[in-house]
Amino acid sequence: MMQGPVLCFVFLSLGLEEQVGAAPICAHGQAGCHSLSLPELFDRVIQHSARFHGLSSDLHTEFEQYLSSSRNQIGERKCHTSSIQTPNGKDIAQSLTREELTEVILKLLAAWGDPLSNLHNIMAHQQDFNTYSGRKALEMSDMVHQLKNGVQRVAERMQLLGMISNSLSRLSSTEVLEPPFPERFSTSDHDLLYCLRRDTDKVQSYLKILKCTILPEQTC
Amino acid sequence: MRRNIATDLIFSILFTVVADTVCITPPGKPKLTSCRSPEKETFTCWWQPGYDGGLPTTYALYYRLENKQAVYECPDYRTAGKNSCFFNKNDTIIWVNYNITVVATNRLGSSYSDPEEVDVVYIVQPYPPENVTVLVKEDEQDPYLRVSWEKPRNADTGSGWITLVYQLRVKLKNQDEWEEHDAMQQKTFNVFSPHSGGTYMVQVRCKPDHGLWSEWSATSFVQVPDYIPWERSKWMVITVFSVLVFVILSGTLHLKRSSLKHYLLPPVPGPKIKGFDQKLLKGGKSEDVFNALVMPGFPPSSDYEDLLVDYLEVNDNEDQELMLDGKDFQDGCLKLKSPSDNDSGRGSCDSHTLLMEKCGKEEPTLESPVVEVKAAGDFLSTETQSSTPEPADAQTSAWPMVLSPDQNHYHSPLKGAPDVFISPPTSSQQEHTMPTGSKHNKVLHELSVNGLEDRGDAVISPARTMEYVEVQKVSQQNVLFLRPLAEQNLSSNTTSIEMPGEDYSKVKGVTNDNVLLLQQEASTQCHSVYQEGVQEEPCPMIQQTQLGKQIAHNPPTVVHGGMQLTASGYVDTATMMPTY
Repeated sequence: MMQGPVLCFVFLSLGLEEQVGAAPICAHGQAGCHSLSLPELFDRVIQHSARFHGLSSDLHTEFEQYLSSSRNQIGERKCHTSSIQTPNGKDIAQSLTREELTEVILKLLAAWGDPLSNLHNIMAHQQDFNTYSGRKALEMSDMVHQLKNGVQRVAERMQLLGMISNSLSRLSSTEVLEPPFPERFSTSDHDLLYCLRRDTDKVQSYLKILKCTILPEQTC
Repeated sequence: MRRNIATDLIFSILFTVVADTVCITPPGKPKLTSCRSPEKETFTCWWQPGYDGGLPTTYALYYRLENKQAVYECPDYRTAGKNSCFFNKNDTIIWVNYNITVVATNRLGSSYSDPEEVDVVYIVQPYPPENVTVLVKEDEQDPYLRVSWEKPRNADTGSGWITLVYQLRVKLKNQDEWEEHDAMQQKTFNVFSPHSGGTYMVQVRCKPDHGLWSEWSATSFVQVPDYIPWERSKWMVITVFSVLVFVILSGTLHLKRSSLKHYLLPPVPGPKIKGFDQKLLKGGKSEDVFNALVMPGFPPSSDYEDLLVDYLEVNDNEDQELMLDGKDFQDGCLKLKSPSDNDSGRGSCDSHTLLMEKCGKEEPTLESPVVEVKAAGDFLSTETQSSTPEPADAQTSAWPMVLSPDQNHYHSPLKGAPDVFISPPTSSQQEHTMPTGSKHNKVLHELSVNGLEDRGDAVISPARTMEYVEVQKVSQQNVLFLRPLAEQNLSSNTTSIEMPGEDYSKVKGVTNDNVLLLQQEASTQCHSVYQEGVQEEPCPMIQQTQLGKQIAHNPPTVVHGGMQLTASGYVDTATMMPTY
């Protein structure tokens, strides 16, 4: 119960500039405020990421039917997040430190904030794209922000509990938050959805690994 | 020329024949059938060779990574069997597209398959779950099946790299359709209420969260022992028991049906009227019926006090009806009233007729022999027979006729209708049998309102306001000839009216109109004594109020329904007024 106000105090004392979209947990020591435990936070975040990935898969499947003909050359797909170094295997992922893994997750999520809001606009202009998919796209752009906030909260909690070092605080600098500006911003819509699907799967997998590394007694 | 064409033709035919037996062509196009990864760490690709062209053909698999130009060849052709390529952990990169092509080569040439894009994360199909065991768990006569299994080999769920969900299916040995159940991430499952004595087959499979279902595991068999489900047996026991109880109950009821019927539906008692003969009523004349009802000794002399007083109010008008009331009446009511001067709604004090009666006579005796009007045979018979109004009229008309000589004593000042008040006989008197024509010594009848409920106010005639008449004689036609008692001095019979000492009335005062205001000791009732030939109009007024007041103040000794029993035992209904 005391973690809430302490967390806020730590937060403020560190002078972090990062903007937290949602209200901090139990701000100002509100009475009767229930702060979640770390396992609970992890479970929520993972559930969120699962839904995130499900939505992106659905979008990709629907879109593929419409625009399979307009696909570029095979293998020339380029995602704007390619510049982010991500572990592409289990061993590699397990060889990363917790901080690095968390950092990767946050980077990925940060990179998709703007493109998803653009995606919604793109979807709306598609004449043969039904509004159901448009709604999904809109939901996705909200979801990526929520997920990012959730992961940040988890990271903060981990830092508080001493599970990871405070080196993560460096991530809150603008370097992380601002998405890497893609050199070629000409990704087609189909490629965008393809990249989204992949990146959401990466995020989910990394989160699961992180959880089972930090909390091995949980169902893993 | 011709020979060249023919030669060419022959050669071509020969060549074709030879070529058919020994045909070599470049290999046909191979086809990449599938690639699978069992644990998201390695994967294997299989292809299907095309026509080999008759020559030994070799196959090679080449792949290119996403956005890279380097071409690599398959590292392992053997591990996964023929026409396969196995990528081990080092060669497997997740979240990267593999562009895979298979090349078939023989001496004559090669042919390339269509390239396939493969991302390992989407081709994950785990092995089936292992060690599937099924046990029958005994649970207090309610056994169930417990299925348990383990994760497939090589699947690394402990690190969170793969999350598996499980599914099982069950069926009886002789069934056709499987019954599928989802077990999510559990590794156990319970099947409840299995068929007793049946053999069950169970299979389990799994799937990663974004992957493909594994193959079904090997079938596990289990034999369920014979048992009776407690629920079924419980209901059986209850049913048998209730049926038994029902049978016993119905048997008992059947045996005792007559007494039960007697208990539940007691027979309606028949009419207990002495002398009442239903057959006579149906068949004979009503006169006979009523004659049969009349019997000696009625009314019973012992407890006369219990009988209600029956009052008859007789009006001297054309369509008069005698109104009789009382418990003892069995044959309806006789109603006698003046249509022009209906006393309904008025109290006895307000009733001018009543008051006329009062004013016009002496201090009446409370007791007097009276005629039991009710016990009349012909009289009542005439009443009930509406078809014979004339005798009724004759009867009723007899009253006023008889009374007419006594007009000077009592008559309504307002209308010409005197009121005769007839009261039932006292206990000392047993006179009745009017229809029989016997002589009645004295008649003192007081007719009251029917039950006092029909009218707002009761027309109560206190005993003192009654006009005593005497039955002079009874004619052949059952006409009563009455004469007022006042003329006769009450002398003729032993059954004279008693005059209890306390019934003397004192004169309270004299009004302007020569009206004596009488006062009684018990109460201050007003009695107006008639003076001969003098109308008593104002007296009733005063008397009304006074009487009303007095009656209000008069505390009667209530016997029945507010009737006052005086010392003589005479029931005075005048005091019923206070109840209103």
